[in-house]
Amino acid sequence: MTDSTKDEAYIALKNVRKSYKIGIEPIPIFSGLDLTIPRSDFVAVMGPSGSGKSTLLNMLAGIDLPDAGELRIGGNRLDRMGETARSAWRAHNMGIVFQFYNLLPMLNAAENVELPLLLKPLSARERRVRVGKVLDLVGLSGREKQYPAMMSGGQQQRIGIARAIVADPELLLCDEPTGDLDRKSADEILDMLRFLNRELGKTVVMVTHDPQAALYARRTLHLDKGSFVEENRAA
Amino acid sequence: MSSIIRQTLAMLRANLFSLPRRLAISLSMALSIALVVCVLAGFLSMAKGFEKTLTGTGSPSVAVILGGGTNQESGSDIPAGAVRVLEAMKSDIGVIRNAAGNLVSSRELVVPVEVRSNEGAGERTLALRGMEPSGPSLRDGVRLSAGRLFAPGAREIVVGARLAQEFPGFGVGDTFRLGAVDWRVAGHFSARGSAFESEIWADLDAVRSAFDRQGQVQSFRLRLVEPFALKTLQNALAKVTGTPLVAISEADLYAGQSSRTADLIRLLGWPIALLMAIGATAGALNTMMSSVSDRTIEIATVRALGFNRLPTFAATWAEATLLGAFGAVIGTAASCLAFNGWQASTVGANNARMTFELAVSGDVMLTGGLLGLAIGIVGGALPAFAATRLPLTAALRARGQ
Repeated sequence: MTDSTKDEAYIALKNVRKSYKIGIEPIPIFSGLDLTIPRSDFVAVMGPSGSGKSTLLNMLAGIDLPDAGELRIGGNRLDRMGETARSAWRAHNMGIVFQFYNLLPMLNAAENVELPLLLKPLSARERRVRVGKVLDLVGLSGREKQYPAMMSGGQQQRIGIARAIVADPELLLCDEPTGDLDRKSADEILDMLRFLNRELGKTVVMVTHDPQAALYARRTLHLDKGSFVEENRAA
Repeated sequence: MSSIIRQTLAMLRANLFSLPRRLAISLSMALSIALVVCVLAGFLSMAKGFEKTLTGTGSPSVAVILGGGTNQESGSDIPAGAVRVLEAMKSDIGVIRNAAGNLVSSRELVVPVEVRSNEGAGERTLALRGMEPSGPSLRDGVRLSAGRLFAPGAREIVVGARLAQEFPGFGVGDTFRLGAVDWRVAGHFSARGSAFESEIWADLDAVRSAFDRQGQVQSFRLRLVEPFALKTLQNALAKVTGTPLVAISEADLYAGQSSRTADLIRLLGWPIALLMAIGATAGALNTMMSSVSDRTIEIATVRALGFNRLPTFAATWAEATLLGAFGAVIGTAASCLAFNGWQASTVGANNARMTFELAVSGDVMLTGGLLGLAIGIVGGALPAFAATRLPLTAALRARGQ
């Protein structure tokens, strides 16, 4: 599935193999997966349960590694990096939006958003300014002191997005970002992701079960039994 | 501030703020540590109080001569002839002499007597010390707190202040039966809380006749010119033939007694406290494991955001250490409130009861506190390591909080 030239590829998976052992029997997930995603693309990955969506996302996040093959993002070979290097790479290049927000309940909105900035050499004032800017961007200005438990699901996901983009990463990985939201909130979140992609040039990879969510992407890849079987482009 | 420290502080803050979710188990960890600290502090304060009482008792300027091959008063026997030889020495033997040129000294005898206490605890053995009229003046820090001293030859007693409080019938002017005869209480004395306050003093000849110990002397106390004069006295003693005599300073006599008993108390206390500490460490480990389990999603989330393993380890370990420190503070505070100044008694020298105050001193609190802290540190290490090994995929699979 290559629709771009190698030069334009921001994300490139080449002949990636991955299997999990259940008992002594290895269960293959990918047996030679290829994928290229150009910079500033917005890709939705769909597919039935067990098709390998989560494994793909984990590998793109550097949380999981392929057994064989090449995993290159922004010119970096993630498959050759150690655990510490991948942590540092995540901190500087990637934001994750989780299905269930994964906000730390004992921290308020501003503190949750600030977490990725703690990994950067910024002063407290610089961090505060950047947190204020992204909270403004996601429409939650003035809610800095609110705790996650005091917010709706949609608001919590906005905080999740603010946390994902506060360090200004190039890549946004979204794991079912609207899976826990009502339609209206889901559309607001998807609008926001589209804005981040189109206006700020973020590369977005979104795993979703929701066909309507996939419509916000520039293209949709269908994964089944470890391979891409179909690709739809947005009109 | 470095990134690692910022990450650690952020994670530690999240850990501590989430403590209310684990309030019961976290409190039980702190309290079990507090209990261990209390037990150890209890034993150590007992040893410390005993030591304090006895080391505050003797004076280095007073020599005690003992005979019969023992270095304790009980079992000691000094022949009258040996005392006479010493008294007859006109050369400098390191001992102060009075205006008449006689040695400032006191022959003494200790008789254990059974006395009924006012606590309904049955009879207790107390030390009745027969001494010469100069005996009280040979004790540093002794002061009459009521009445007067015993009259020479009379069946009168002066009672240590602690005994006077504890036992009925020791009021000044009361008559008290010790052995087969009645004694009149002439006065009370205090001795700055030292072991002297656990004794009853009477005239030597009166004690000898009441207990059929005519001629017996167990110890011979002498006021030295200066502490270093003990050597001169020992040289003089070597010239006394017929019986082996030893001269030791009064301070060393009581210090020796204190170290033996205090060591015994510590020998009993440390193993008990350490056994309890092992149990508390297992409890701390369990608590921290459940803390890590409770925070799996949070830990995996921040790790997925790019946090390192080291801050994960450090924050979990710091949480355990802080809980350990909290337990140690509770334990030391509780032991200070419960034990400090508490009156206890034990069988001391001469097989008689000796009363002393438990002392929760600074070093006792420090030792107990460090043990509590060590429990937190040791109990938290393995869970902290486990926290760094959590699978990050947990963050992506997680259901919301």
